[in-house]
Amino acid sequence: MTRVNPQKFIPLKTHWFHIMLSIAGGEQHGYGIMQEVLNRTTGKVRLWPATLYGSVKRLIEAGLIEESAERPAPELDDARRRYYCLTPMGRRVLDAECERLQELVRTIQEKQGRVKQGLVTE
Amino acid sequence: MNRPTPSTSSTRQSGFAWRIYRRLAQAFPHEFKLAYGADVMQLGEDVIDEIAKRHGAAGLVRLIADIAIRVPLEYLSEMRGDMRYAMRALLKSPGFALVGIISMGLGIGLTTNVYSSKWAMLFRDLPGAANAKDLVMMQQSADSDLAAVSYYYIEQFREQKSLFTGVAAFETGIPFNVTFQGNLSGKPERVFGQLVSPDYFSVLGVQPQRGRVFSATADRSGDAPFVVISDRFWRNRLNSSPNAIGQILRLNGQIATIVGITPKNFNGALAINPSELFVSITAPAALAPELANDVLHQRNAKEFLAMMCLAPGVTIESAEAGLDAITRRLDEQDSSMAKRTDQGRRVTLLPAGTSVPIPRKLKPALIGFFVALMGLVIALACMNLANMLMARGANRRKELAIRLSVGASRFRLVRQMMSEGILLSMLGGVAGFALAFGLGALNAHFRPPTTLQFETNFYLDWHAGLFAFGLAIICGVGFSLAPALQATKADLTSALKEGSALQLPGYRRIGLRNLLMVVQVAASLMLLLMTGFLVMGISKGTNIQTKFDPSTMVLLSLDPVRDGYSAEKAQGLFEKLPEHLKSTGQVRNIALAAQPPFTSEPERTSLSAEDSPGSSQVVQQVLEETVGAGYFATLNESMLAGRDFALPDERSYADASNALPAVLNESAARGFFGNGNALGKRVRDDKQTYDVVGVVRDMKDLEGLSQSIIYLPLTSRDFARPPGGGITILVRSDAGASPATDVLSAIRNEIALIDPNLNIVNMQTLRSYLDRSRAALRFSIQTYGGIGVFGLVLAAIGLAGVTAYAVAQRRKEIAIRTALGASRAQVLGLVLREGTALVGVGTLLGFLGAVGLAKVVSSLANLFADALKIGTNDPLLLVGAPSLLAAVALLACYVPARRAVKIDPLKALRDE
Repeated sequence: MTRVNPQKFIPLKTHWFHIMLSIAGGEQHGYGIMQEVLNRTTGKVRLWPATLYGSVKRLIEAGLIEESAERPAPELDDARRRYYCLTPMGRRVLDAECERLQELVRTIQEKQGRVKQGLVTE
Repeated sequence: MNRPTPSTSSTRQSGFAWRIYRRLAQAFPHEFKLAYGADVMQLGEDVIDEIAKRHGAAGLVRLIADIAIRVPLEYLSEMRGDMRYAMRALLKSPGFALVGIISMGLGIGLTTNVYSSKWAMLFRDLPGAANAKDLVMMQQSADSDLAAVSYYYIEQFREQKSLFTGVAAFETGIPFNVTFQGNLSGKPERVFGQLVSPDYFSVLGVQPQRGRVFSATADRSGDAPFVVISDRFWRNRLNSSPNAIGQILRLNGQIATIVGITPKNFNGALAINPSELFVSITAPAALAPELANDVLHQRNAKEFLAMMCLAPGVTIESAEAGLDAITRRLDEQDSSMAKRTDQGRRVTLLPAGTSVPIPRKLKPALIGFFVALMGLVIALACMNLANMLMARGANRRKELAIRLSVGASRFRLVRQMMSEGILLSMLGGVAGFALAFGLGALNAHFRPPTTLQFETNFYLDWHAGLFAFGLAIICGVGFSLAPALQATKADLTSALKEGSALQLPGYRRIGLRNLLMVVQVAASLMLLLMTGFLVMGISKGTNIQTKFDPSTMVLLSLDPVRDGYSAEKAQGLFEKLPEHLKSTGQVRNIALAAQPPFTSEPERTSLSAEDSPGSSQVVQQVLEETVGAGYFATLNESMLAGRDFALPDERSYADASNALPAVLNESAARGFFGNGNALGKRVRDDKQTYDVVGVVRDMKDLEGLSQSIIYLPLTSRDFARPPGGGITILVRSDAGASPATDVLSAIRNEIALIDPNLNIVNMQTLRSYLDRSRAALRFSIQTYGGIGVFGLVLAAIGLAGVTAYAVAQRRKEIAIRTALGASRAQVLGLVLREGTALVGVGTLLGFLGAVGLAKVVSSLANLFADALKIGTNDPLLLVGAPSLLAAVALLACYVPARRAVKIDPLKALRDE
């Protein structure tokens, strides 16, 4: 199998990033992903159903996520739902995106610091 | 799925939203629905109440909008995938793809070229003219040329406010010798333009792109001369100078100031003869000989064309009736006119908002002809591709059966197969557009030698692009739908059992493929014959036979009035010019004329003869050529009766009180006087009486037509106001005396001795003049011939494909027959039999269709009648073309049929 360069997907689309971040910690179903993103972003980002599954379809086609063979414990499981998890490739892509965003934040903080010190005029 | 009983006040809203959501979820593409449909429904059900509670109606709208937008996006995504799949499939079959692209490219290219050149010329509104749809002009009669009237008549028409919002007067094809600011005394260029009344632009509804156009208030008699230039003049001759407005030009020796530039692509009314300059008729008469002799106030000076804009709610028929009554009244008031007692219509109006005003009766015939031609060409290409796709579809039958049996929807598979056809068609469309561009450039290159310029600059604009694109989509859908439906027919069991080598039902019966093949052969033959008729007609008709070597005659034109001469000085020049040129020692015969010999652009006039047999007055439409002394002797034409024109005839003065001499050709003499003697008889038009002094044989023009012609003598009037091409001088030298180049330079030197400032125009031998006209005709022949060959090639490809496929399909059957003892000849005969039947039926239908279509087109449009008449009576073509098609078609069947005899029965049966 030819190895795809993770950089091919960077920068990640916003919805893809949120979905992949949601399932980074473990498999999750669509409703769970939607709720997790809503809570994490304090209501600022809502993944609407059609958009969510459209993105899920494309993420699966891109090989970044897959339907999970494993399911949570029976008391936590919802038989109607399908669970998704990151693929190894997906994990590498997510790591690369997180690194990019962190680099961006570091650059912004550095600039703000220098402005405060009066070293750079706005 | 059951929803929990709602308990909130937004229940109704949620219920309504849920119903819409569910409907939209069903609309997703089949594959998406299979994979995620249930999840989308489940998730929607889970969140709808929460959204209603938290966000109210706005949230529900947002939920619906999300799914409503997503549905078409998923279809688009599938179509993108289909296109990628189709591209891979085409790359895997480069031969098929190439044939398909070439077929569609030729079809779309030829069709787009015909559309953008002919259709645009005939039917598209004049660019820049806002009133194009309301413009009308007068015809002399229903079948003939535009009618010229005096300016007095136009002023009377203008008074009819209930009929017209405006009536403008103009003359077109007016030559100007132009020199430019910064080089006003340099050698002039000859530029064609129009003389227009001040309201011309407002009647047409044309606004300038820069500066101003003429107006009745701003431009009056006695004002300094102004000129409006066309966009083309501004770009080509002034390099789009931003300072063009206010620049000075010298027109025919007079200073004029540029005041405005017309919109892009506007070249005046009657744009088939494009005009680059527009000069008001209020300009001084010295600026244009057409304005001399106070022409605006001469009631019988029928010099102007009337452009009328219909008033709102007025139909062309009612305007015609109203104008007819007015014209009748004005004619009766005109004492100089011969009294007309006929009660028939004197005025016919035709729509004039296009480059070429087309008579109303002719329009449907023309539209029909072009639609039929374009339709045939594109239908051929589509049929060919449909056949090829059917064969391809049949080869994939097992694959498609497997896909259908595991749950693929038929609609999805049909869409995927159609993507291949649409992609092929669009690639063909791109190739076709490039071909149309190339053909357009070639069209512009091959211009016939005419006095007036003809518009050949048919740009491929967005109209043509949209046309080509739309055609490609329609064709792609058209030729791929039937094969896709055929290939996905649900007979899964037999398809899975027998595999791809499935006998398609109906091969020995009337099936779709056989029908397509018959129609293709018929259409190919129709196209071949129709184009063959035209080619034969054009080439046979245009062989001009001169009674001398055309390379011993030199043609040149002079226009001294537009070089600044007065009328008297110009007459003096032409009187002494023959003697001067004879003094070079190179000249055997010399004559003057108002037009080049064998012209296909003569004037037309209506003549009546009072001395016709049976003492009834005969009125004929004849062509008019104006020629000088010794014209026929210069052409080495003996008079059939009477005499040639002589010098005293040139010195005559044309007025209503004395009769001028005239020469008739055979057709005209016969038309007026039957087999009786025409000499000494009189004919007249509405201005002048003529005594017939000679009869000459019919001479064909450059288009191969022999028509009734009256030859009138050149007079002082013609010298004072030379026609658009100037006065043509025909100089014939002795054969073998000197090479043409020597004669040309001797003449040039002699004219320079007379006056070095005289501008010589169009100097060439008669041979090169005839060759140039034939080159343009040859190009027409090649284009039509190419279209015919295109049809032939496509039919051959189609037939070869069908036969090759049939051989592949019947491999098992052929193998069994061979194993049981069938000879090679029997096997070949078996395969060829069906192909021969298809070709035979198609040939018969095509022949009948072509002959019928030719008759219909001829009866509707004189335009094609002559060429088609010659062509449809050509036995070589009537027998040859069907035979050629049949031979090519049978050859196309024979080559793949030979593969049948090479089938190894053991191998074939074992492979099963």
